[in-house]
Amino acid sequence: MVKLTVDNKPVEIEEGATILAAAAKAGVTIPTLCYNEELSPAGACRVCVVEIACTPKSITVTSCNYPVAEGMVVSTQSENAIKARKLAVEMLMAQHPHSDKIAKLAQTLSMGEPRFSVNSEECILCRLCVRTCQEVVGAGAITFVAQGLERENREAAVVWNLDKCIACGSCAYICPTQAVTLNDNQGMRTICTPSTKMEFKLKACTKCGNHYAPEKQLEYMARTSHLPIEKFDLCPDCRD
Amino acid sequence: MNEVMFSSWGGTIVDNRSGRSTPATEIKVPSAVAGKDVAAFISWDGLVISDNNVDVVALANAYMAEAAHLACGECSMGYKGTHVISEILTRITNGQGKPEDIDFLVELSDSIQKNVKCDFCANTVIPLRDALKNFRTAFDTAAASKEAALKLDYIKKVTAPCQEACPIHQDIPGYLELIRNRRNTEALEVIRRTNCLPRVTGRTCVAFCEKNCVRKDIDTPLSIRALKRVPADLGIIKPLNSDKISKKDKVAIIGAGPAGLSAAQYLSIKGYQVYLFDEQETAGGMTFSGIPAYRLPRNVLSGEVDVIASQGTQVRLNTRIRHVEELRGKYKAVLVASGAHQSRDNGIDNWNKDYDGLMEGVEFLHAVSSGKPVAPKQKILVVGGGNTAIDCARTALRIGCKEVTVVYRRSRHEMPARDEEVKAAVEEGVKFLFLAVPVKIQSQNGKVVGAECIRMELGEQDASGRRKPVPVKGSEFVFAADMVLPAIGETPDLTFLPQGKQAKVEVTSWNSIKADENGITNIPWLFAAGDCASGPATVVEAMASGHKAAESMDLYLNKNKIARPESEAVDSAFHDVGLSRSRRGPKPAVEARAYPHEMNAEDRVKNFEEVEECFNVQVASREADRCLRCYRVMLILTRQG
Repeated sequence: MVKLTVDNKPVEIEEGATILAAAAKAGVTIPTLCYNEELSPAGACRVCVVEIACTPKSITVTSCNYPVAEGMVVSTQSENAIKARKLAVEMLMAQHPHSDKIAKLAQTLSMGEPRFSVNSEECILCRLCVRTCQEVVGAGAITFVAQGLERENREAAVVWNLDKCIACGSCAYICPTQAVTLNDNQGMRTICTPSTKMEFKLKACTKCGNHYAPEKQLEYMARTSHLPIEKFDLCPDCRD
Repeated sequence: MNEVMFSSWGGTIVDNRSGRSTPATEIKVPSAVAGKDVAAFISWDGLVISDNNVDVVALANAYMAEAAHLACGECSMGYKGTHVISEILTRITNGQGKPEDIDFLVELSDSIQKNVKCDFCANTVIPLRDALKNFRTAFDTAAASKEAALKLDYIKKVTAPCQEACPIHQDIPGYLELIRNRRNTEALEVIRRTNCLPRVTGRTCVAFCEKNCVRKDIDTPLSIRALKRVPADLGIIKPLNSDKISKKDKVAIIGAGPAGLSAAQYLSIKGYQVYLFDEQETAGGMTFSGIPAYRLPRNVLSGEVDVIASQGTQVRLNTRIRHVEELRGKYKAVLVASGAHQSRDNGIDNWNKDYDGLMEGVEFLHAVSSGKPVAPKQKILVVGGGNTAIDCARTALRIGCKEVTVVYRRSRHEMPARDEEVKAAVEEGVKFLFLAVPVKIQSQNGKVVGAECIRMELGEQDASGRRKPVPVKGSEFVFAADMVLPAIGETPDLTFLPQGKQAKVEVTSWNSIKADENGITNIPWLFAAGDCASGPATVVEAMASGHKAAESMDLYLNKNKIARPESEAVDSAFHDVGLSRSRRGPKPAVEARAYPHEMNAEDRVKNFEEVEECFNVQVASREADRCLRCYRVMLILTRQG
């Protein structure tokens, strides 16, 4: 166990835990955006930034992925932490002025309009969808393409691999900015991502005829559970 | 850059704007590039200005535009932040600045330095902050001005400490980032741009990069070599972009080792008809005969050769070139990459090759690699402290030898063999005898029965920087052994080279071909690369040497020029910067390094199966996530006119 303080509140937590977890245990709420407790942390949005006392001077770190240490002194409300957090949110606001989630974050930090504008993009590269697809769904259909040395003319982006996508829609569900949307209509599911529009057939229940799930998702479930595909002929309502 | 006007390099401010003068020698940045004086230099550790007329705002703008191109996008502060800075600076230099811009630039660059995910953006804004702080008036004036700044050309280079340490300058942060994002096929493409043997190097490279990894000063370097193996093994090989119009010139390469293969790959990409000759029946040179199968499975190596052959190189095995001049009529240029296979004189008395139990280390490895029968012995003494010695020892165990001891004249600390190899040998039961050397073979009825050895002690430092071993008088002792394998180094066989009066190739005192680092010899049509020019070195150094020689051959064949490529003049100017592991970003959290699984020692000594496993995609992604992405952008403005 490791002892530390978060905003002067002492807390004890197991080694390897993150500052964010320690803060929660101490009853301190740190705002987050790209964090989800079911997923590995990404440190992408920088909203959960806190200040930790270090020699020779304190540093700011993201609490979602920084491990606790014995005797650590964490401050979530210091001038530096607030300043860094506000700038991180300002950056996100400029990127995506219409996001409710970001507007709410800005409100809790009592912030005004951003001082600058950037190319407005719905996807803020938080990679919640990437991590959900890899770590929870297991399909690994979404990957992050970074900008870099050998790819100078390409911007950073999140991309979908149609062959691997099972149309489950988890990406649309988890996306904090509605950059991914899902729509079921007349036996078809349409998933729109920042770069592609994908269409998938929905399976009709052999008994009631209702479209109840994407065919690709059912195939995936049959494959991973080693059950024959016929087991998925009926919708949940028609199953005994 | 004789007179430095201003420098913030390394965090030390030198300000001569009011008259005083500090010589440039104290600041480790280039003073000239390709014959032109440097007027300004900007990079991760500060900026240096030596000309009053330099427009610092325009310089900062050009620099930040490059930096914004390289921000990966993993965190929004770094990615969007550098883009916002770049846009504002561009606006200012276009005469559309606003007075409040400068304060905002200060705030934003300050925040980026303190609050981004990796090292790239954190270090990248340092010179911008220095410029804003020390040239505030220039920035304020530019923000108020309605005139656009002059567009200037800057010389640019992007590299990283790991990349600089790598002889073939692999874009390591680039492929690690792709591995992290599970895009292994693209990672393989990045690797293959400068590496024709990704699977071989992913298994056996000595990894100079890891020794210069910035993580070394924080926790442990990344497992870069083992990570490279992941895309090499799992990625899909795509054809490299090649020159569609084939050139009519034929070129010959002697020796299908790493240097020859590398030259073949890059010459065939350029469209030449490449003929690769080797006297052995298997391609690979020392990677075949010198690296045992438990480190490099034979099908892995042959697969790599197949890929190179599929790109157009004609591979001619079992072909010994007796005289290089034979090739001249048919081939416009010849590259000698014949390696160093002959054992150096071991200096041991009563050395008689006909004795049962005496063999040179490389011969032993070659015999086992080629499947020739080598009878196992009871007690083996391997002589030497390099990787070949360790390979001999571990191979001896695998063919059924009972007790294997490596004798080395210095101590463990001075051993040139890779640490992980020595560790693996110890696990397998190899014994070590340090500070001793065999001086005489003891034999009975044509059989080896032991070696007379003498104890050594470490004396003064020698030219290599290591302490020189000195024999201890009267300390002789006998080591009972029925096999002695010296592995103390190899030299090239150069008997097939031009020896005539008109064309005699120059050799060094080490009996290697005298060639510069671009493979240029004293004979225009003859180039040399790899161990035959450098003396015994590593696989990756041989590959680098082959690649450079290929560039020189292209210049010779295409432009009839014997010269180093122009890009190298620029590279070497930047090289003087001394790209160290220094960093000024916040210290990241300590994260444990992942090592690949190995077969346990008890099982692995029984056969030649590969010892090390490949990381799986998930573990590789996590390990690659430790990369701090230490790209460094460097920009030079040369003196105008």
